[in-house]
Amino acid sequence: MPGKQAVQTICPFCGVGCGMHLLVDDQNRVAAVSPQGDHPISRGKLCAKGWSTPFAIEPGDRIRQPLIRTDDGFRPASWDEALEVIRYGLLDILSQLGPTAVGVISSARASNEDNYAAQKFARAVLGTNNIDHCARICHSPTVAGLKQTLGSGAMTNSAADIDSAEVLVVWGADATENHAILGGHIIEAKLRGATLIVVDPRRTRLAKLADLHLQVKPGTNILLVNALLHEIFRHGWQNQDFLDSRCEGADALRKSVRDTSPTQLADAIGVPAEQIEAMARTYGQANSAMILYGMGITQFVSGTFNVMALSNLALSCGQIGRPGTGINPLRGQNNVQGACDMGCLPNVYPGYQDVADPAVRQHVSDYWQCPLPDHTGLTSMGMTQAALRGEFKGLILFGEDPVVTDPDQNEVLASLKALDLLVVAELTMTETARHAHVVLPAASFAEKNGTFTNCERRVQRIHQAIPPVGEALGDWQWLGAIARQLGSSSLDWTNSQAVFDEMAGMTPSYSGMSYEKLARQHGLQWPCDDAAPEGTPTLHQTEFPIGRARLIPVHHVDIDEPADADYPLQLTTNRLHFHYGCGSMSRKSPLLERETPDGILFISPEDARNLRLKNHSAIGIRSRRGYLETRAIITDDLPPGLVSMPYHFSEAPSNQLTNRAMDPVSKMPELKVCAVRITPLPEGQAPRTIQSIRASAAPPSARENS
Amino acid sequence: MIHYRLAELAELTRHLGRTRQVWQRSGAKEWCQADASNPPPLEAGRSVQSAKGFFFAEQEHIFEFDGRYFRETLPKPAPFALIGVSSCDLVAIAYQDQFFASDPHYQARRQQALLVGLECTVPCEHGFCPTVDAGPAARPGTSDLVLHPVGNGWLLTVTSEQGRKSLQGLNLTTAPEAMKQQRQAQLADCERQFPDDQHIRDGVQALNAGTVNASTWQQMGVQCLSCSGCTSLCPTCSCYGVQDQSADQTITRRRFWDSCLYDGFQREASQHNPSDDAGARVYRFWYHKFSDDFRKDFGRYGCVGCGRCEATCPGVIGIHSVMKRISQHD
Repeated sequence: MPGKQAVQTICPFCGVGCGMHLLVDDQNRVAAVSPQGDHPISRGKLCAKGWSTPFAIEPGDRIRQPLIRTDDGFRPASWDEALEVIRYGLLDILSQLGPTAVGVISSARASNEDNYAAQKFARAVLGTNNIDHCARICHSPTVAGLKQTLGSGAMTNSAADIDSAEVLVVWGADATENHAILGGHIIEAKLRGATLIVVDPRRTRLAKLADLHLQVKPGTNILLVNALLHEIFRHGWQNQDFLDSRCEGADALRKSVRDTSPTQLADAIGVPAEQIEAMARTYGQANSAMILYGMGITQFVSGTFNVMALSNLALSCGQIGRPGTGINPLRGQNNVQGACDMGCLPNVYPGYQDVADPAVRQHVSDYWQCPLPDHTGLTSMGMTQAALRGEFKGLILFGEDPVVTDPDQNEVLASLKALDLLVVAELTMTETARHAHVVLPAASFAEKNGTFTNCERRVQRIHQAIPPVGEALGDWQWLGAIARQLGSSSLDWTNSQAVFDEMAGMTPSYSGMSYEKLARQHGLQWPCDDAAPEGTPTLHQTEFPIGRARLIPVHHVDIDEPADADYPLQLTTNRLHFHYGCGSMSRKSPLLERETPDGILFISPEDARNLRLKNHSAIGIRSRRGYLETRAIITDDLPPGLVSMPYHFSEAPSNQLTNRAMDPVSKMPELKVCAVRITPLPEGQAPRTIQSIRASAAPPSARENS
Repeated sequence: MIHYRLAELAELTRHLGRTRQVWQRSGAKEWCQADASNPPPLEAGRSVQSAKGFFFAEQEHIFEFDGRYFRETLPKPAPFALIGVSSCDLVAIAYQDQFFASDPHYQARRQQALLVGLECTVPCEHGFCPTVDAGPAARPGTSDLVLHPVGNGWLLTVTSEQGRKSLQGLNLTTAPEAMKQQRQAQLADCERQFPDDQHIRDGVQALNAGTVNASTWQQMGVQCLSCSGCTSLCPTCSCYGVQDQSADQTITRRRFWDSCLYDGFQREASQHNPSDDAGARVYRFWYHKFSDDFRKDFGRYGCVGCGRCEATCPGVIGIHSVMKRISQHD
């Protein structure tokens, strides 16, 4: 029978935060999902991933009990035994190298309660600020950039604002694939008469529907913003009242774009000057214009500056602080906003309270009743580098698969192998978990209570629908068990509500929230406090957290690795509607797996012709960092000179190739562009998986270099 | 046909609950098992999911093979009653009864079901059941019992032999003529309140005349995200995929709801795909629902006018959006 009961919860994929019911059958399995008709964002809709949720968490290949590494794999173990191994491992490292040699990587897929527990575990139990999560590789430049210009690094407006905006600018985001329900709202808005402008090097679905598509060269975002600002100031389309009353630095910004006319920059940007002028006219003269952006802004060495440039554009035109406006990062994972809010970052406590501020530290130390480390911690990639140097030895990681998702896979693998203790808690065996010393069985979102915070800052309840599979535990629960092993009772909560209440007691923007209040409506948007007891759909309406917003001139930064004679093509990365992150959940659906194309290198007809490739031809792709094989898919969605790969597939991971050159401010690696060379494989030869390339005695790279 | 007056619905629910599981729609408009001794109030209107999943399971095992023997994995459900199935969904079940006539898994569940219909007295959002002969009055031969609210009570109509038997032991009074007249008046009034459906009639005509050009379908294909929402919620969609899973020397074949809007639905092993183009897939979906070619086989169109596709499509190409487009572009 389909649903003995229907349990209301939030979709576990992406940051949109759609409402769904889990239909639980008489054997306590999630038999099906159903969209929630009255949900304010999803309004009775789900995307392909959402509809396939039952497959993602089905018991089939779930990890059911702790596993301990042996010489030739893993052996099942009891929780007591696994915790003992972890305790000895951690105590060994702590006694030899101290707390700077251990750290935690938490999960943007886990709940706020889990993430709060993870950072508290790192800080209060291990004594280190080495805590990070995957926001490092999605929106860390957003947090860093908007914090400087506006004082708050989150979506300024709400999903519902898409309905009321006169102009929608989708910049470096493939919303119908990655945030499909929000992408659907954009289609709806366009059909109702909103003007849709898309800035993207790829011809995305929204680009095909747009009034204007600026198919820019990768890495030219700042040039485009400055050309737009030049045009806006030249015609007087800036909102002078807003600049005078709400911002500082307008004169310097205006001077900085004096020589950045569309005509001067059109060639460098790769689009006709007329298109830039048309965009400036439309955006500059709109009554309400909303910018939505994604990884096409952040994943560059210029990531933080790109975000600040967008901020300059929105502020100059006064397109912020009102419904239908704003600067809106589309966040990738279901709870990446929450993981940031919870302070799973090496430099801030929950609520973005500065670790380096002694007064803040004292306050948190009093609240937790324990001493706290005073040094800023390592980022995830900082932990990778420190591990390679032998300075970092113990890592606890959950719900992430950096071997697949982080740049420069070979280096990530080497760093994991250098650890004395790697603990991974997961639903299923991932590429990263294979390298663990101890694997712990984690409970899925359907097996626990808690909250997720979506990209519009909406904190929403998730409800337990089924018992945990096997001996799986929620993340705050097993973290608490490790803490107890180390003699700390600071993670001894009785239920998720107790975790939430403790968190809300120290996180100003969550201070007005409780499970009771969240249940009354479909969640609450932060800040929710005494001043805004019902939450805040639109930020910055009368003032910015830093008082006046800052306009900070930014200048073009070259991409780190342009194409050259040896590596003549540029590789960018994209995502598919059907898959999510490392694919550990979405690839369990036979339907979504079937949607995976035969090959995953997307290439323009021109480049394919030059390389004598047919559709589905087997190819090898090489960058300065790695090599992999797949098949080519010919599509005119890509311009000549640019190829693209999704990163979901562990057998052909784009992160073999990607560049780890980083944005100096946020440490975001430049995942959106690097140089590659493509060679057709001999006729009749099928592409090999990365695992078999690695295993083969004489890899092509060795042959070629010798 | 026998008509009874029912003062308290709970009386009926409690009675049916003595011999069967009882399922009703919850406040969240989802089908849930109800406590027959203390049933929740009956909600009228469209449920999020139709009753499709009760018979054509979203996921199920269809056989096992242990290397020597094949074993069937037929479901053995206890008798159950669905209370409050809307008229459009009853028509859809009758439609699927034809499609799955010789499917033992479907039939194993279907044979155990008692269908208690509930007629709507106001149109639902996006609904157009009168246009496709599926409501608001329950269609003959689609149910066992039918409920219609009259005043503070209910008119209970017996519509099948199984329905008659299910009421044995329940003390009921025959409904007065006035109640039946009241039902007719309410249904006529409901039907009058449906919005204009000219675009649907024009669209169906254009579809069957073959006058919609390929570029119109292609434009709509760009809007199709292949989410599978329309086919999941459509009460007549019946396509399924299969997958063999092996564990401990046993291979289990499972089947699950598929969607013809997926690129991989018809892709062949050679990678050749006869419906490579998203627009062609959108066309195929609507062709299956409204082509006269299928009408011959099923005696009606494959659409029951519930409007769920319009409500759930993120790309704005549900029934009304599509029919408006194709009735204009001929």
